[in-house]
Amino acid sequence: MTNLNDSDRAAETSPGTDDAAAGPTPGLGWGDYCVPAFIFLFCGVISYVSTTFDEALPLIVGDSMQPRVFPIFLMAVVAVLNIGLIVQVLSKPASRRDWEPYQTWASAVLFGVFYFLATFVDIMIGLMVTMFALSIIWGERRVWVAAVLAIVTTSMIFFSFDLVLEVRFPRGLFTDWYYG
Amino acid sequence: MFAEATSAMFSVFGDPYLMGLNLGTTVIGVIIGALPGLGATTGAALLLPFTLTMEPVPAIAVLTTIYVSATFAGAITAILINTPGTAAAAATCLDGYPLAQRGEAGRALGIAVVASTVGGVFSIIVLAIAAPMLARVAYEFRPPEYFALTVFGLSMLASISEGGAIKNLIGGLFGVWLATIGADAITGTERFMFDNYELYEGLNFIPVLVGMFALSELLVQSKSLNSVMERIPIKAVKLPSMADYKKIWKAVLRSCGIGTFIGILPAEGATVASMIGYSEAKRWSKTPEEFGKGAVEGVAGAEAANNAATGGAMVPTLVLGIPGSGTTAVILVGLMVHGLRPGPHLFTEQIDKVYSIFGAMLVANIMFFALGLFAAKLFARVTLVPRGILWPIVFAFSVLGAYSLAQSMLDVYIALIFGVIGYLFRRFGFAVAPVAIGLILGEMVETNLQNSLKIFDGDWTQILVQPLAAFFLILAVLGISQPYLVSYFRKRKARRAKS
Repeated sequence: MTNLNDSDRAAETSPGTDDAAAGPTPGLGWGDYCVPAFIFLFCGVISYVSTTFDEALPLIVGDSMQPRVFPIFLMAVVAVLNIGLIVQVLSKPASRRDWEPYQTWASAVLFGVFYFLATFVDIMIGLMVTMFALSIIWGERRVWVAAVLAIVTTSMIFFSFDLVLEVRFPRGLFTDWYYG
Repeated sequence: MFAEATSAMFSVFGDPYLMGLNLGTTVIGVIIGALPGLGATTGAALLLPFTLTMEPVPAIAVLTTIYVSATFAGAITAILINTPGTAAAAATCLDGYPLAQRGEAGRALGIAVVASTVGGVFSIIVLAIAAPMLARVAYEFRPPEYFALTVFGLSMLASISEGGAIKNLIGGLFGVWLATIGADAITGTERFMFDNYELYEGLNFIPVLVGMFALSELLVQSKSLNSVMERIPIKAVKLPSMADYKKIWKAVLRSCGIGTFIGILPAEGATVASMIGYSEAKRWSKTPEEFGKGAVEGVAGAEAANNAATGGAMVPTLVLGIPGSGTTAVILVGLMVHGLRPGPHLFTEQIDKVYSIFGAMLVANIMFFALGLFAAKLFARVTLVPRGILWPIVFAFSVLGAYSLAQSMLDVYIALIFGVIGYLFRRFGFAVAPVAIGLILGEMVETNLQNSLKIFDGDWTQILVQPLAAFFLILAVLGISQPYLVSYFRKRKARRAKS
């Protein structure tokens, strides 16, 4: 059984290669360990949090169940299934997991950037910046195309949501000016 | 009642607003279906916010039309670029693309259009007849039966084609857990809210669905930016010849039955239907050796089955409130948002609306038949839209769509978070559809369990002795063990054949 470390994996990875194309390699990958471990951890945390729910039994509940019972029951079933997952993982050769290309990381980071801009600046400005950056990161070489895409699409969506669907957007730099 | 239902169903044909809306939505649905990565589920999730200002019937008609037309359109890219536009068209690639390589792309598309239309229309007829009959049976259901039925629905996640049985069940239970977030329905106890009172009524479905389907797909697509798609040129779509009809009619009829039946099973969808439709077409064919090399029966079998599953999947969705697939999970949310409570009562209290929705689905089938024949060549061109332009637009629609329902920034954050969670699910081999189905079934499972326990004074064993509930629970056990039983019997058969 071979355990590939992160640098080995990075060396093997070519951007754009998908999992299906990369065939199975013997041994357990880090993901094969991490997933069941994370699931156990998740079950533990959720079960613990569930035990902190109010224990006082209101009369209306009668002989029904306490609010904490159902989540704990769910987590117990998930934990049992997770054991099955571990058995499955151990009995099969691990599938090779390549590192994501930078576009995936950058796109995920842009989700965070959008969150920041939408919260602290303006949702429309956040949308324009994110669309522009996504377009460039995803390979659009013409900067003007990315800029037009960001401005025109955002404006069209904003006005269609505002005028047709009567959606009111949160206050920010642009919306303050628009709504007055 | 029959006359009322029939007139409501066909009234759609005389309603210019609904016909126009249907035409526009069919065009959008075909474009969405033809774009690899954007399937019927993502399309319906993205368009759901746009239906909020509509009346219930047009709103649901938009969603069902997207479902029907996008399911068909997956075949366009499956045949022309060997990349299924939707997962349900994966089986179409197997023979559609070899046909296209032989210079018969127009013939393959023509067969796909005809088979899809026949499958879709057949399943709507079954839906219109079977749904009220099932609704009459469902009237007798009490909380124990509903609880057992939802458990059966969850158990069927084990046999969804994506992921694996265990991973799908874990995903489904994760979805059920998500449904526990918020105030407990009976006691009002706050669960997993962490003092965030916007979550008091639980997670909104739309941001979770938008995140899990659309934003996670964006991250998945970012991994294949360097892949090059070779598109086979097409002159025109050709209707099948008499010889083709003779060859495919049995496969089409068989797949109509298979697709509708599989669609009716809770949590099963068009993908499973098309795979089985294809393999049955091969099994019964006089020339099975041609399969994989451009067999027209293969294209017809897969396409008739996946479109027949669309009508079938609407049966449990409308009658029982149990989604038959990922897309019907979104449609179910649409029904609830528009005040149409899915369940048997829908067929007595609002039968005109239900049959108008069926009528809209029928119209959608006719429209994609026409569009498929005359404009498939045009729709094939949408695959040329650069990803660097398409996906930023999807991002914009996703976040604003998530925002628009409750006009809350929390929903936007939830969509973004579930985009990343959905990506991680897919990255590690978990399908996202079970999470959506689990989320929708979650409240039903818990509430019906609570009510059952109240009925039986806390004695849960009483649920097991209710005949119908016991029947569903046995089916649930079979549903969970079915993938393992099938694998066991296959291995045994292979061993016997070897020896």
